[in-house]
Amino acid sequence: MRSIFLILAILMQVVLGTSPATAAEAPSEIKGLWLVTDYPALTVRAGETSTVGIRLQNYNLPPERVTLSVDGVPEDWKVALLGGGQPIGAVMPATNETVSFQLRIDVPAETASGPHKLVLRAKGQSASAELPLDISLGNDLPAKLSLKPKLPALRGTSRSNFDYELDIRNESGKDLLVQLAAVAPPNFQTSFTENYGSQEVTSVPIAAGQTKTMKLKVDPPDNIAADEYRVVASVAAEDARAEVPLTMQITGRPELRIAGKDGRLSGEAEAGEKSTFTLVVSNEGTAPIRDVEISGTPPGQWEVSFEPKKIDLLGPGEKAEVQAALTPSAKAIAGDYMTTFRASGEGASSSADFRITVRTSTLWGVVGLGLIAVALLVVVGAVARYGRR
Amino acid sequence: MRRKGSPWTGLAPVFLKELADHLSSARMRVLEWLVLLTGIAAVYTAIREIGSVTAEDPFLLLRLFTHARDPLPSFVSLLGFLIPLVAIGLGFDAVNSEFSRRTMSRVLAQPIYRDALLVGKFLAGLGTLAISLVALWLLIVGLGLVLLGVPPSGEEVLRSLTFLVVTLFYGGVWLAVAILFSVLFRSTATSALCAIGLWLLLTILWPILVPFIVQAIIPPDPAAIILGVTSLEQIELQQTLSRFSPNTLFGEIVLALLHPSTRALGLVFPSQLQGALLGAPLPFGESLLLVWPQITGLIAAVILLFAITYVSFQRQEIRA
Repeated sequence: MRSIFLILAILMQVVLGTSPATAAEAPSEIKGLWLVTDYPALTVRAGETSTVGIRLQNYNLPPERVTLSVDGVPEDWKVALLGGGQPIGAVMPATNETVSFQLRIDVPAETASGPHKLVLRAKGQSASAELPLDISLGNDLPAKLSLKPKLPALRGTSRSNFDYELDIRNESGKDLLVQLAAVAPPNFQTSFTENYGSQEVTSVPIAAGQTKTMKLKVDPPDNIAADEYRVVASVAAEDARAEVPLTMQITGRPELRIAGKDGRLSGEAEAGEKSTFTLVVSNEGTAPIRDVEISGTPPGQWEVSFEPKKIDLLGPGEKAEVQAALTPSAKAIAGDYMTTFRASGEGASSSADFRITVRTSTLWGVVGLGLIAVALLVVVGAVARYGRR
Repeated sequence: MRRKGSPWTGLAPVFLKELADHLSSARMRVLEWLVLLTGIAAVYTAIREIGSVTAEDPFLLLRLFTHARDPLPSFVSLLGFLIPLVAIGLGFDAVNSEFSRRTMSRVLAQPIYRDALLVGKFLAGLGTLAISLVALWLLIVGLGLVLLGVPPSGEEVLRSLTFLVVTLFYGGVWLAVAILFSVLFRSTATSALCAIGLWLLLTILWPILVPFIVQAIIPPDPAAIILGVTSLEQIELQQTLSRFSPNTLFGEIVLALLHPSTRALGLVFPSQLQGALLGAPLPFGESLLLVWPQITGLIAAVILLFAITYVSFQRQEIRA
């Protein structure tokens, strides 16, 4: 422990004594070689390999060959110095330059946990430096996850998409495969996708200490009543678990529909005569509709009227019957015509095309028969007058 | 002094004898073959064309009657031309040949009234026409069934049967005209010439003459001449005048009955067509109602022409 303080003291001396950003520049009063590392005391896991980053600094010395060695290595441990990926034995820092290299330590599985002290030495011709390292053996950190939604409460109609962006953070020291899950009310569809991806995923790998943003998409049923619903998103990996409640407020949506009774969209009418059709106006949405007005656009010179003309309030799932009285023009030609009936209320409207078959009056048919009868009467009269000769 | 008893005594023997004479006469045979051959030719070409060209059509049977392919006209237009000829051929010498053969007094010496004689002759002519038309109709439907293989729908059968009846009355008009002339003129040649002349006048000349008559009755105003349009009154008068010809009436009836999508025969204003679904077929009743005035006209014409014939025949002096 004392050596750590010693090194810290040296470091503080270096840092405080010079301008901090110019460590590589030559502070005129310091001269020599220093071995520096960020974490001189560290914990490694038994049976694994750890790497320690080390720098050798040269202050105001001419470049020279510096031989590296490690002392105090326990038996069975494997220690290697790596520079640029290769094992090295010596470094050669230029004046006022730094050389970085790594110390790789392979700790065997069965090793006593007590602290081990390694000393890294750098020995040149004119100067030398040493760096004591305290290595203690520890256990795994437990896996830990955190889950944070960007927008935890959304609002929309039952036809909207509810997309929650979730930040999943792996707060443990190793990579994890994180399972994604969501608990929603019945008949709600939930799916996880990558933030800008379309592929649905059930689990996602997250590197140690990294954060990943996933998207939870919730699709409520179309006919769901207006209310606030709760969805719980959860992530799990190994024994770590995190969950977050999300709320979705679904507002009602009105939807009008107009149709003939029993779905019939055709009818018959006689030219110049009033015919009545029964229309059914229904609200198939989830919110009430006020002031539903019924109108129609029949062919020219036809008359149309409705009873009732207006429905004050149509609740969700309610139906109302409307009598449409249609009078084709007296001069209408026989045959099929299209008539559009329309219902429009606050925020919703609907229309339906009706096919009206117009029949013409049979009055002229009777007149024609009368004419034939008159002609026959003429014959009968002629027979009575001139017959039997 | 009025005589007793039914005026129709002896109608049946006259009818049967005349019918037998018609059906066995060489003249009738020639006419029948004429109709048969031209009709079959028209229908056969129509079938060939329908079988290879026509897309799905709900009224395939009716197309047999109305389909025309160059150089042959359609079957109905052939009928409209030939039926008057057959009817005139059947009736032009109905009465005056009895005089020229001096058999009239012998017939009337039997217990048969003139009423029965005339009615019997007229009905025999109609019966002959009916027999040949029904045979022709069956032949066409049969050909259609065999060569097209599509069974006709009930509505098609109804429409084509109505067409058959109307054709019979159309022939009846010309038969009544021919018998009228055979009563009025003692010479068979004169009556034949008059009947054929009237037929030519109404069939060929009348459609050409009508526009001139209309121009004479309703002189067009200067603005209409500049714009090159005919006024509403002119069109209506032209239509009324052209309907004096049985040929026009027959043509309109055929149009409405055999083309079910026909919705109007006269003038139609755009306001009446607003919202209308064009091309949709009318129900049979509506089609019939559309041409009912024309059908009534044909039937009434037959009856009235017969009444005139009857009166003039009854008032004639017949000597032995």
